[in-house]
Amino acid sequence: MTMDIKKYSKFLEQVASEIDIPPGKYQDAVDRYEAVGRWLEGGEYPGCQGELLIYVQGSFRYGTVTKPMRDGVECRYDIDLVSELPADINLTTPQALKSMVGDRLREHGTYKRLLDPEGGRCWTLEYAEQDGVGFHLDVLPAVSDHRGLLGTAIAITNKKGETYTWSASDPRGYGAWFDSKNAVAFNRILLEQKQEIQRRAPLVFASINKVPNQLVRTPLQRSIQLMKRHRDLRFNHEDRIAYGPISVIITTLAAHLYGNETDVYSALAGIVRKLQGHAALVENRAIDGSLAAMGLIQRRPDGTWYIGNPVNPAENFADRWHEDNHARARAFFGWVDALQKDLLNILDESSPRLLKEHLGRALGTAAVATHFDLLIPAAVALDTPPRIHISSPAKPWRDE
Amino acid sequence: MTDDLQRQIDELTGVHKGLKNVVERDDGIVVSGLLPFEASADGLETITESFEIELTIPRDFPETLPRARETGGRIASDYEHRNPSGTLCLAVPIEQRRIFLENPTLLGFVNRLVIPYLYGYCYFKTHERHPFDEAAHGHEGILRHYVDTLGLRDELSALTVISFLLEHGYRGHHDCPCGSGTRVRDCHGPTLMALHQTHNQQSLRGDFAAIFSLCFKQFENQQISFPKPLRLQLLRLLKTFKD
Repeated sequence: MTMDIKKYSKFLEQVASEIDIPPGKYQDAVDRYEAVGRWLEGGEYPGCQGELLIYVQGSFRYGTVTKPMRDGVECRYDIDLVSELPADINLTTPQALKSMVGDRLREHGTYKRLLDPEGGRCWTLEYAEQDGVGFHLDVLPAVSDHRGLLGTAIAITNKKGETYTWSASDPRGYGAWFDSKNAVAFNRILLEQKQEIQRRAPLVFASINKVPNQLVRTPLQRSIQLMKRHRDLRFNHEDRIAYGPISVIITTLAAHLYGNETDVYSALAGIVRKLQGHAALVENRAIDGSLAAMGLIQRRPDGTWYIGNPVNPAENFADRWHEDNHARARAFFGWVDALQKDLLNILDESSPRLLKEHLGRALGTAAVATHFDLLIPAAVALDTPPRIHISSPAKPWRDE
Repeated sequence: MTDDLQRQIDELTGVHKGLKNVVERDDGIVVSGLLPFEASADGLETITESFEIELTIPRDFPETLPRARETGGRIASDYEHRNPSGTLCLAVPIEQRRIFLENPTLLGFVNRLVIPYLYGYCYFKTHERHPFDEAAHGHEGILRHYVDTLGLRDELSALTVISFLLEHGYRGHHDCPCGSGTRVRDCHGPTLMALHQTHNQQSLRGDFAAIFSLCFKQFENQQISFPKPLRLQLLRLLKTFKD
């Protein structure tokens, strides 16, 4: 069947919003991490002078959150919170920094209860569904690192056994870079989307001004969400999961390749086409000149791979791609082909039942079923549906 | 199919025009199709939605209530309020009967139980919480329903109440099974009367079995003991289950 691209694009957008964080839950998460931030700010940290900086990094920051799937079931969101202490990197140790933040968290009755055992890089607070949210909040202790490329560079701590080391990071720099790639589309849709969000969640946001920028989604952000969900489902298998492309690679490459398309389908099609243009690198063959000039995915003379962090080229996101006979590289390009087949070529499918099944396998059955009507309207004419007012309803239950 | 049931199906499909497939099967009559609605609730937003629904009306309806299933694949299997068999858990059985009996027709069943459930599901998807609260799962949900609606002390009181209803039905002049020492009509009279009228033999036995099995587990773990009169009554009642 030939389907209207506009309709399909709208459908993809709705599916992406289905796997996104709901506005109410986003607001809950913000309230919780702001409270954690205020608590950390109120602490006394020996050797620190000045203001503590608290900010989110990762998909929460870039607006590319997807409900994580493990074993085919949606599970809790991860939120990364950087806690940048005003200490001099030369006058403190990673271990001291890590324990200062841990100690401060333990001084709080609730956080003490929610705190997991010490992690490699962060302290994790486990908010359970009973607390009304259901997410992990990773608190990353950090200090400013003047050796970095930009003024925003930081050093974070790494714990391996009993040994602590510093490693370089720059989440604020990366966030600003991502915003710059997203800016044209963002400004184009800002007002319209805020109106829509406010209309749909009037109890969460009293007015349009109350809708945070972080809930606006451009075709780039929607495309990344769809790609991540497709990745989660495709690599949802014990012996494949390790080879699935990591989120920062997907986010970085998609942001580089996004051409400010105005709808999700065109944005995704453009990104996938340009990613496919790199596939010859697996056989060490040359790729199209304009793509090669961008240097996004590179093959080095020794056969290793390079995908640079745009704000710190010394960091290579693909540093493990050559391992196991280039298993991650092969998995990546196999996945890109699957994106083309499962999400873009799918419009040729002639049976609505098969279309629904295939899309369900690619993006999750519930999310697809919820919005499938946009693609193939059910046969019944929905003149005006019956109006029902609900009073003294029953509580839902479950038999066992 | 009886004339009355045919009338009820006509009434249902006249209002909910999308439910247009009616098929007779071994286990009853199956009405299926689209169920679009525009629903509002006090103090909450209006939701306009449409689901693919299948209702199985058992042969002994209205003694046994219909089962509802969402067939469009929208309500995922990990949604908490779906039975293991895929049917929708509209409410604990006694609550389903109470609400059904206020308007005991198929249309009433859909409007008072199925649509509020679907509304609750849509609301939950947006707000991540249930607009009308939710019952505990399994036997625990049934037990809590009695404890909460009657304001009882504990599970043993709930067992006493359900045993009383099963053995005697409503008896105004008996001592109230809640243990207050006053007569039923001066104590839990109206609530027990309502329960008595809402239950049929099948639903009463189901609830008794649920509460008894919970109490029996605690008894085995030596967390509770049954007072002698209750113990004798339980033996009498369990014997009728065997027969």
